[in-house]
Amino acid sequence: MSDVIKLNKLPERVILPLKQHDGIACAPLVKKGDEVHLGQKLGDCKGSELAYIHSPYCGNVVAVEARPAPGGKSVLSVVLEPVECTEAPEFVPEKEAPPSRLMEIIEAAGIVEYYEKPTYKILKPGPLIDTLILNATFPLITRAYLPFLDKVLEGFQLMLEAGGISKGVIVLRADDKESIQAFKKASLNGKPLPVAPIIGKRHADYYFEDTDSDLIALVAGKKTYTPTMMNLLSADVMGRSLPLGYKPEDVHLSICGVKSAKAVYDAIKEGKPYLENAVTITGAVNNPKSLFVRFGTPVKDVIEACGGYRGEPGKLIINGSMGGVAVYTDEVPIVKNTTGIVVQAKEEVLRDEAMPCIHCARCVDACPVNLLPGRIAVMADCGMYEKCGEYYALSCIECGECAAVCPAKRHLVQLIRYSKLQLQKMNEAKNAEVIE
Amino acid sequence: MTQFTISPPPHRRSKISVKSLMYGRIAALLIVGAASLLLFGTPALINILAAILGAVGTELVIQLAFKQKLTISDGNALYLGLLLALICPPTLPAWMAFVGGAFAIGVGKHAFGGIGSYMFHPSLTAWVFLNLAWAQNMLPESIPITSEFSDLLYETGAGFLTDVSPILIILTGLILIATKFIEWRIPLSYFLTTVILALFLGEDPSYIMQGTFLLGVFFIATETATTPVTKNGRLVYGILCGVLTVTYGYFAGNYLWGTLYALLLSNVVAPYIEVKTLPTPLGGVLNE
Ligand code: SF4
Ligand code: SF4
Repeated sequence: MSDVIKLNKLPERVILPLKQHDGIACAPLVKKGDEVHLGQKLGDCKGSELAYIHSPYCGNVVAVEARPAPGGKSVLSVVLEPVECTEAPEFVPEKEAPPSRLMEIIEAAGIVEYYEKPTYKILKPGPLIDTLILNATFPLITRAYLPFLDKVLEGFQLMLEAGGISKGVIVLRADDKESIQAFKKASLNGKPLPVAPIIGKRHADYYFEDTDSDLIALVAGKKTYTPTMMNLLSADVMGRSLPLGYKPEDVHLSICGVKSAKAVYDAIKEGKPYLENAVTITGAVNNPKSLFVRFGTPVKDVIEACGGYRGEPGKLIINGSMGGVAVYTDEVPIVKNTTGIVVQAKEEVLRDEAMPCIHCARCVDACPVNLLPGRIAVMADCGMYEKCGEYYALSCIECGECAAVCPAKRHLVQLIRYSKLQLQKMNEAKNAEVIE
Repeated sequence: MTQFTISPPPHRRSKISVKSLMYGRIAALLIVGAASLLLFGTPALINILAAILGAVGTELVIQLAFKQKLTISDGNALYLGLLLALICPPTLPAWMAFVGGAFAIGVGKHAFGGIGSYMFHPSLTAWVFLNLAWAQNMLPESIPITSEFSDLLYETGAGFLTDVSPILIILTGLILIATKFIEWRIPLSYFLTTVILALFLGEDPSYIMQGTFLLGVFFIATETATTPVTKNGRLVYGILCGVLTVTYGYFAGNYLWGTLYALLLSNVVAPYIEVKTLPTPLGGVLNE
């Protein structure tokens, strides 16, 4: 098992964007010149979808200004000059907190899911939730958290308790042997955790009955369920297929990530707000590895901790090379949703020229949701958006598989995404008419 | 400061490109072409060169004339010319092969909008044109019958260049399928349909297992632009090719013409098959 160490070297600057989730941006609580301590709340927000920002470092505020964030845009951020903490921070966990209190702690800690929703929101989204799915199908992330598996499991149970959810399923990738082994060895309140494969129509409910346990781990296919694949995940794991436009919560499911389970443990059992992630660095660095990195640490300091770039770097991708964002500077910070960095050397960067489609159907065979990506893209290119709709463009989960295999190197995802945008606008316009 | 490239995802793609797909097919056909030289000698070589020259030359002229980007290096014109030469008899005068190659590219490919846009296989279009223009010259001296295994290896009664060694086509075709240069659905359903139907009708397989038919199965029927892209559509398309091939072959009495005409006709039906076999996406509903 890998030893996941903590990045403790102080960076020159720490940049904390005031919006690190999908929802309302926080308002800064500090101003230039203020001194902040570890765990201090820096950003406050009001509303329904919020995630507070806390300081993962001690230091002085040198600026509150817009800075490039890993999403590709500039975001109002608190910039700190970090210093070593003079006194040990005191985080005090609450003892014997009732479920309603657990929820408040999770909310106050500012924990965010891997798909950018605040965790407290998904535990009680409104409709009744009967099963919480822990999506552990990102092998690199899951493995980085394996040394803390007991904490992850305990955090997961705390989430169930807080949300009043009766059952929990952990989903693993079939080819991630290391994680499967670790989960098989894990114990749950003294009993071993049941680990089972998904075969045919045997979905989670079958195993709940079979094992008589309310918490099980299931080994799914060789698929990583990215944030856009939540409906696919509910269909594959629970056998609950969803029509387009519906969310897992509509069939009483919620989905969380490994990192938030650990964060929930930290918040409830150690009294710590959400301050760090395990980040896995792969690609053209001298010493690729996983590290615990505090939020706000610039990417370049993380790269340095991995022995620096190997050769001349060409591309810096945040969160995976299939759907991640390529950023233009390594000054962007690690934020609540950063779990991976891929560095491509200059010569690895793709430089292809798109050609006309040769109808080879590779994209069709690659698409996990059965679309005809090449056809939709051609129609999107011609502005025939209604036609794109007839070819189910809106069902596209933007996984990028089609573009990855296309021999003509067409920008399939972007074209399809564009048609989806137009279709959504057209639908809105239509709905507006109906209301008038 | 280090410069980083930014671009939309995905940031990792397969290495296969249109160009590599083309050259994979060209390599296979060159092997087949080389075998034909053994039997037919220089005339075959000259015809292959003439057809390729006609095809590539025409593409060059068209793209220069219309100030388009030059694409001759992608191998598509070369491939189409080479394929055409293989489905002509060695006795065809070289200048006709040249005209055929030029026709394939000029009319069959570019008049329809270039790579990916043609609805009929350009080599087949040119083949039909040659048949209509110089029917006498397109007649092979003999119709091959592969009655023994050695005939599959080396057929001395070959009609077209491609008929010399059926086994080579099967081998190269299977290699291309194994390496994912060609997708398996069409060859499989086409081949099985033809064989089953022909046996059912009491046809002698030695009339069918010929270079032209196999070339059709592995190379012509799988021309991506002229086939449906849906998964089921490809299976149906293969079945249709098979049914038409046997129909032509059974009634016209030879499977060289039978295969090629059947494939051309199937091209016509391909778009219809596609719209009839649209898949339903996972969890999807129509956008209303
Ligand atoms: S993979 Fe590319 S070339 Fe092939 S059908 Fe799809 S869009 Fe066209
Ligand atoms: S991105 Fe491409 S492969 Fe993925 S769902 Fe959309 S169309 Fe299908």
